[in-house]
Amino acid sequence: MLYQIYHSTQFTYQQWVSFSHNLVRLKPRNTQSQTLVDFSLSTDPAVTEMETYDDYFGNHLYHMLIRQPHHHLKVTARSCVAMDREAIDQHFALAQEARLSTYAQVLNALRANTSDVIDAKQFCLPSRFVAQASRDVHEYAQLSFSAEKSLYDSVEEFMGRIFNDFQFVSGFSDLSTPVDEVFRERKGVCQDFSHLAIAALRSLGLSARYMSGYLETLPTEGSEKFFGADASHAWFSVFIPGFGWFDFDPTNNIVPSHQHIVLGYGRDYGDCSPMQGVVQGSGVSHLNVMVDVSRDESEG
Amino acid sequence: MMFEQYKSSSYDEMFDENGVVREHWKPLAANLEELGCDQLEAKRQEIDWRLEDNGVTYNVYNDPNGMSRPWSLDPIPLILESSDWKNIEEGVRQRATLMNLLFKDIYGEQRILKEDIIPCEVIFPHSGFLREAHGLFDHLDYPMMMVAVDLARGPDGKMWVVSDRTQAPSGLGYAVENRLTMNSAMQVLYKNISIRRLHVFFDSFKTMLLGLGKNSSREPLNVLLSPGPHNETYFEHAYLSSFLGLTLVQGQDLLAKGGALWLKSLKGLRRIDAIVRRVDESYCDPLELRADSKLGVSGLVQVLRKKGVSMANPLGAGVLENLGLYPFLPILARYFLNEELILPQIATWWCGQDKERDYVLKNLSTLVIKTIDRNADEPSLYVGKNLSSEELEVLRQKIQEQPYRYVGQEEVQFATAPTFIQGEVVPRKVVIRSFAIKAETSYEVMPGALVRVGSSDDALAVSGQVGGSSKDLWISSQPDTALPSASTTQIMSQSMGQDSMQSMSQMSLQATAPMAMANVFKARGGLENSLENIPTLRAENLFWLGRYLMRSITSARMIRMTLKSLANSTRYNRNGDDQVQEILCSALTHLSMTYPGFLGIKDQKITDPLSEIWSVMSDSTRVGSLSQVIMMLSNASTSTKNLLPLEGWRIFDRLSREWSEFTHKRKPAHRDMIAGVDKLLVHLMAYKALIEETLFAEQGLVLYDIGARLERSSLLIAKARAMLTSVYEPFVEYEILETLLGTSESLNAYRAHYRSSIEFAHVSEFLLLDIHFPKSLISEINQLLKALPKLPKFKHEMYLSRYEQPLFEAFSLLRLERTENLCVVEKDVFIRDSMDALLSSIADKLIVSADELSKTYFSHYDE
Repeated sequence: MLYQIYHSTQFTYQQWVSFSHNLVRLKPRNTQSQTLVDFSLSTDPAVTEMETYDDYFGNHLYHMLIRQPHHHLKVTARSCVAMDREAIDQHFALAQEARLSTYAQVLNALRANTSDVIDAKQFCLPSRFVAQASRDVHEYAQLSFSAEKSLYDSVEEFMGRIFNDFQFVSGFSDLSTPVDEVFRERKGVCQDFSHLAIAALRSLGLSARYMSGYLETLPTEGSEKFFGADASHAWFSVFIPGFGWFDFDPTNNIVPSHQHIVLGYGRDYGDCSPMQGVVQGSGVSHLNVMVDVSRDESEG
Repeated sequence: MMFEQYKSSSYDEMFDENGVVREHWKPLAANLEELGCDQLEAKRQEIDWRLEDNGVTYNVYNDPNGMSRPWSLDPIPLILESSDWKNIEEGVRQRATLMNLLFKDIYGEQRILKEDIIPCEVIFPHSGFLREAHGLFDHLDYPMMMVAVDLARGPDGKMWVVSDRTQAPSGLGYAVENRLTMNSAMQVLYKNISIRRLHVFFDSFKTMLLGLGKNSSREPLNVLLSPGPHNETYFEHAYLSSFLGLTLVQGQDLLAKGGALWLKSLKGLRRIDAIVRRVDESYCDPLELRADSKLGVSGLVQVLRKKGVSMANPLGAGVLENLGLYPFLPILARYFLNEELILPQIATWWCGQDKERDYVLKNLSTLVIKTIDRNADEPSLYVGKNLSSEELEVLRQKIQEQPYRYVGQEEVQFATAPTFIQGEVVPRKVVIRSFAIKAETSYEVMPGALVRVGSSDDALAVSGQVGGSSKDLWISSQPDTALPSASTTQIMSQSMGQDSMQSMSQMSLQATAPMAMANVFKARGGLENSLENIPTLRAENLFWLGRYLMRSITSARMIRMTLKSLANSTRYNRNGDDQVQEILCSALTHLSMTYPGFLGIKDQKITDPLSEIWSVMSDSTRVGSLSQVIMMLSNASTSTKNLLPLEGWRIFDRLSREWSEFTHKRKPAHRDMIAGVDKLLVHLMAYKALIEETLFAEQGLVLYDIGARLERSSLLIAKARAMLTSVYEPFVEYEILETLLGTSESLNAYRAHYRSSIEFAHVSEFLLLDIHFPKSLISEINQLLKALPKLPKFKHEMYLSRYEQPLFEAFSLLRLERTENLCVVEKDVFIRDSMDALLSSIADKLIVSADELSKTYFSHYDE
């Protein structure tokens, strides 16, 4: 099964920008369940230089420099990603086994020093956008967890509580909104819910990471889907020693499968922001993002 | 007797437990006794004077007045035996070697984590662990170029490691300056003492730096990246860069492109080979590291990734300044070196482990608790015994929440050394900052150090920030003793008195002249002896130095004239005085652009002119005020500090200090206000004369000149529009014309030229159109047109450049103008429209020209 993903980001500046350095994280990484088949990145105006490399977490990055004076910068990424149904099914089967691990067992296994655990441990610690959880957040999360209960089930239940207790409201929060405020106001967007869940899970001694990507949306019955009406998406993943990482989407209360396409992951949004840049020039900029995720019908 | 009252409560460097002078201190003790307290006090004052004279300062963070504090050096050095030092040297070298291997592993394979040598929670949460640095320096065997280790002597008489400085160690410049100052001021103390000298170490340092850029075929360009004049150790950045032959730059001087790093210079872009980094690592690149940093270079990490530049120390080195590592260093020394640590450390318990955390929590009130890194949100040190039970409870909570962020350390009574304070010799805690640099395949340790002295007998924290003084470290060397040749360090064992031949004469490490600093800075001229190579930022600052200096002088003159006029009228109360004052006050508002000011109407109308003038003088938060202009002048001055002669810094330091003191008082009496401005003017004029006399053309005098002339032209136009374009009664007109000539430093020249009374037509002609009078508007613009071709990149082409054209137009307009026409007044109109229109059009052209000049030379628009 193939997805065609279109993701464009356009900056409009009030004044001429003569110099702009950018980091772009728009190339999906390969995972157990997905393979990048095709990818292209274009910019307007054209780049002066572009280099690609992988970061510490293995995400693909583009470093680009634009030196031509410009008023707008448009970066367009087109990806074609193949989802491996078989691998997805296998992962679900693995999840059934992972369900047998209790919270206490997981905590204990996290004390080991095997290389996968060491790698996971960096996701146990507070990070830039996910500060140490407050007592309130910790206590809220704790209700779903107990020593002898299945960790997987607990996280699933916790995800459901976020879905039920929080309202999806766009425009209320931005990147600088702390997790505590999202928690107090009981509203936010996918990014906020993911950060909240990550903070809560980390306060319980667990290893949780931030997933950045896309979600295929289907039009409601009888209506037509508009091109570009999608958005980039975020969810979280929990590490269960011996089994690996398991994803949860608190915004939709689902366990991601073939409709969640991964771009990259990290400790929080800061490690995954699709685009960041430093420009030489003054004045405010305006941002316009357009995303479209569609199934490639030719493949069925 | 000098040491009669001397009594230390802990181990003392000079006296043993029986109060007997230790053997290696005896010659120094004798020299001190011979000198006596009175002479020592005189010497101390001489040292202070020299340090101040050399401009040695240490900026204090968060000082609202932005004051820099003079560096303080104790006249009594700390002296160590050569055998004692040998052990320290080995220990510091071992530690540097270990730090290097640790760095390579953390940012490479991470074997110490994978093989469970240390827990990953020591590394991952530390703010100095930069994931972006992972793999960046894999190609180097010795990424760590320099390591500083702070040492203090424990109660057992052994030197203990107190902390490590790996990220961008400071102090080397101060150590050199301390030695130079001792050499020149304290010769008497050297009698019968041989000490090890520093120049071999600095030769190695220079060799190491040259080696960083040796893979290029050009003459290497190595820079010292500084956060700028506001940094606490900026003095040292300027000093070291001169001393080591580095170009001193700030982030704004640099540009990353094409996998390389470039220095923006007046001529264009020059490729950089190596950076000695004094900007904290997380501030180095706003693109990939801290986005809020204004000190870095966007794209620098990418340049490192492409191996386009060398960096000392490497990004990520801060992770080694990690107290959580302490308990593991003995294990790590065995793991990497198969050695035991030579230098003991303070007993440290890292709370990331259960047993250790429990121990720390149980003994909270007797231990010293520190965070593993320094973080702006939290104090990094808690002394258990000084905390109340509530404070202890809060700390306990914090430790329980994030145990891996804390360590507990034993409180240790460190050794004292005799220090001369207020005419007495008293014991003070001392901490030695020792430096090691990479030399071929090992580390070389400086046979000296920066010694910091605690501000009181039991001060636990000894640092430049907190207060206190410093000392020179003398390592005694017996000329007869053969030294091990295995050591990479060479030793000069001559005593100071016998100096004859010196390989380093130009660097004056043995300097006896008080102008040591001046020599150092002159050496700099040789490195960048062309206008073309001036860094863009400095060029821009010179341009603004010219502008702000002229603006401050002209504003001060205008304020003085206005104050005087106000004073005269209250005395004589002549007819028409009111109107003169009104005109002058409005002119002041126009000139300083402190609107609405005296132009305010209705409820904004000024009722107390003196208060308004005081505000225009002193309110540094008010745009256009004299204090604000002085502040901007100060900014432009500090970044061009090392271009000006010592007297220049001193005049300016005094100028800004006295002005700041004056304006921070309550509004003074009318006459004192005049006196204050007078004093400022004297200083400003001295500063101006000094700059114009001493700045070389190669150093960028032309930029200063262009800035000064652009500013003077604009200000002259502002004054002329405020004072010449309206028609007044004869008496008023006379007063105004006289003032205008006075504020333009042109009164005497006018009288000499016209030999007649002051007339409107003559004054207008003289100040605006007379091409033979150098201060006239037309002359200033003419001189500007002559200055521009001196700039690099100036294109001698058929058509005028974008910044030249508006000036040429302005010049032509003035040259074609006639005085009669300027003075024309239409019937029943009290404004000289043609003059006003001309001046306004010229003012606009000056602005366009300045903008275009900035784009070409300061923004590198087309490169």
